[in-house]
Amino acid sequence: MATVKLTKVKKIYDNNVVAVHDFDLEIQDKEFVVFVGPSGCGKSTTLRMIAGLEDISDGTIEIDGEVVNDLQPKDRNIAMVFQNYALYPHMTVYDNIAFSLRLQKIPEDEIYSRVTNAAEILGITDYLMRKPRALSGGQRQRVAIGRAMVRDSKVFLMDEPLSNLDAKLRNQMRAEIILLRQKLNTTFVYVTHDQTEAMTLGDRIVIMKEGYIQQVGTPTEVFEMPKNLFVAGFIGAPQMNIVNTELTLENGTYYVSPFGVKLPVDGEKGAALAAKKVKPGPVALGVRPEHIVLTKDAENAIPCTLEVNEMMGSELHLHVYTADETRLVVRVPTISLDEQTRKGLVAGAKVYLTFEGKVMHFFDPESTENLLN
Amino acid sequence: MTNNTSPKRHMGLKASNAISNTLIHVLLIVISIIWLIPFVCILLQSFRVESTWQVGYVIPQKWGFDNYLSLLQTDFKRWYLNTLIIALVNAVLQTIIVLCMSYTLSRFRFKMRDALMRFMLVLGLFPGMLTMIILYRVLKDLGLTQANAVPGLILVYVASSGMGYYVSKGFFDTLPKSLDEAARVDGATRFQVLYKIILPLSKPIVIYTILTAFMAPWGDFVFARYISFGTSAGMNVAVGMYNWLNKDMIGSCYTMFCAGGVVVAIPVAILFMCLQRYYVEGVTGGAVKG
Repeated sequence: MATVKLTKVKKIYDNNVVAVHDFDLEIQDKEFVVFVGPSGCGKSTTLRMIAGLEDISDGTIEIDGEVVNDLQPKDRNIAMVFQNYALYPHMTVYDNIAFSLRLQKIPEDEIYSRVTNAAEILGITDYLMRKPRALSGGQRQRVAIGRAMVRDSKVFLMDEPLSNLDAKLRNQMRAEIILLRQKLNTTFVYVTHDQTEAMTLGDRIVIMKEGYIQQVGTPTEVFEMPKNLFVAGFIGAPQMNIVNTELTLENGTYYVSPFGVKLPVDGEKGAALAAKKVKPGPVALGVRPEHIVLTKDAENAIPCTLEVNEMMGSELHLHVYTADETRLVVRVPTISLDEQTRKGLVAGAKVYLTFEGKVMHFFDPESTENLLN
Repeated sequence: MTNNTSPKRHMGLKASNAISNTLIHVLLIVISIIWLIPFVCILLQSFRVESTWQVGYVIPQKWGFDNYLSLLQTDFKRWYLNTLIIALVNAVLQTIIVLCMSYTLSRFRFKMRDALMRFMLVLGLFPGMLTMIILYRVLKDLGLTQANAVPGLILVYVASSGMGYYVSKGFFDTLPKSLDEAARVDGATRFQVLYKIILPLSKPIVIYTILTAFMAPWGDFVFARYISFGTSAGMNVAVGMYNWLNKDMIGSCYTMFCAGGVVVAIPVAILFMCLQRYYVEGVTGGAVKG
């Protein structure tokens, strides 16, 4: 249990590629922080710098108040779970889990009790005498977690631990990690490229792109108030629709005119724009697929043509294009549609859409920053 | 239609496989016999006691261990011991150096690493013989020739052992780096990573390295002959026994020479028989281990 503090941490590789730029973050004791971003954004590099597996080019990393820049991984009192499990193939599951304890010269009877306890929590007691090659992917990942668990480390690092598992197992393991977190009650730093994992697991999410932090916030914050267009596009599935349009102000009310249809910005968003005294002008309008509404009324609605209808079970994902060939994705709960409307949603069908003004997002088209920041 | 023709096709395939397998096996048996003839001849000659001279037949008329016992009356024991010491010490030191070198080049990134590897590759292209004269000079100045040839030869073999890192490095490259990293996070030092994780996973390559490090000095003639320079106390078996083949001695030493050859071959043969599975895995390991 410990805090982790990164101050102006930088990673420059030998070929002068800067992988991480001035990374500042303070992780609280027992907090679960998720680094998320596309490939090459520097999230794994940052985690590996915390672990001591990568040298830090500049800045400082503190674990529990102690600067660990020059400490070997073994001296940082951290545990880590790797993407490819990294189980020692020549050892049994028991020996894999006991490896770190034996290095610490802990008495064998205590090792036994710790290993069996961890195995019980993870449901791998029956496999303790097996070699890793005789285990399934999910079981191997449990062993890898067990290996990290028994150490009573200050910080628990996880580098895309679920990305080698199939979709069903990933969902199951995700839930198990949440339970495990409750049991271990320690500081977690978790790396993933999957925004669903980030949203479901993290107390706070750090969204990264090209070595820079884009936003740090709770899942709700980053979802409801994305700091820029990148975060808006990265968080949420299907991703947010972005439409370049004009923001106008008439009689104290803001309007946007996507595809020539004038829509009022009402509710909190309108009030927030007014409070910020946002100047009218070009704007990148962001609308999440679930905030686009199908309407039968062609008046004041955006006419579109349906291209693809994806049936997801409880909802439909409608891929439509407008008259100027802009692609939009609309998420419609199946329960909200009557039988006739649902049958009519076939490729080529005309649909009319309107945006919910109170949940629109407004970004500066030049700087890509959220205008309400 | 396919159903009607497929059994015939199946039979045809089976027959052609059987024919080609038979031909291959016959060919292999013939090659094996040709290859084994000299060994069988040497073995039979070593048990011939009716004469010590070369004869026109292979199977001895009188059998016995006289030739083996005669070996004990010569310097053979000394040569054998010299060879064994050189080979064993070299096997240990060279294995340690090669494995450390290979692990370092496989896992560490440091300045001039690529240049060093290229340099060693180019150096390895020059025949070792080129260095013989200067090596002799250096060893002579150090007093490590003739009667002291054993430590001199060990020095020569061990000094160049780092260059033979290719095969083991290739093998280590195939082991995921995350294993090293996991072990380091688990609390292991770099050295513990090597001997607790990497080496147990690299049994074939370790055995291959030990075997090659043992074999090279075991059968060496050229360097050993130069460095011992006619002094029996510093000779290995190959050099010592070669002296029995000169015009004056071959008549009295031929069958003893064969017996010596058998005694020299025994440890290597045993080693290979016990470890051949690992040896083959080691040779091919760097290329195919996934």
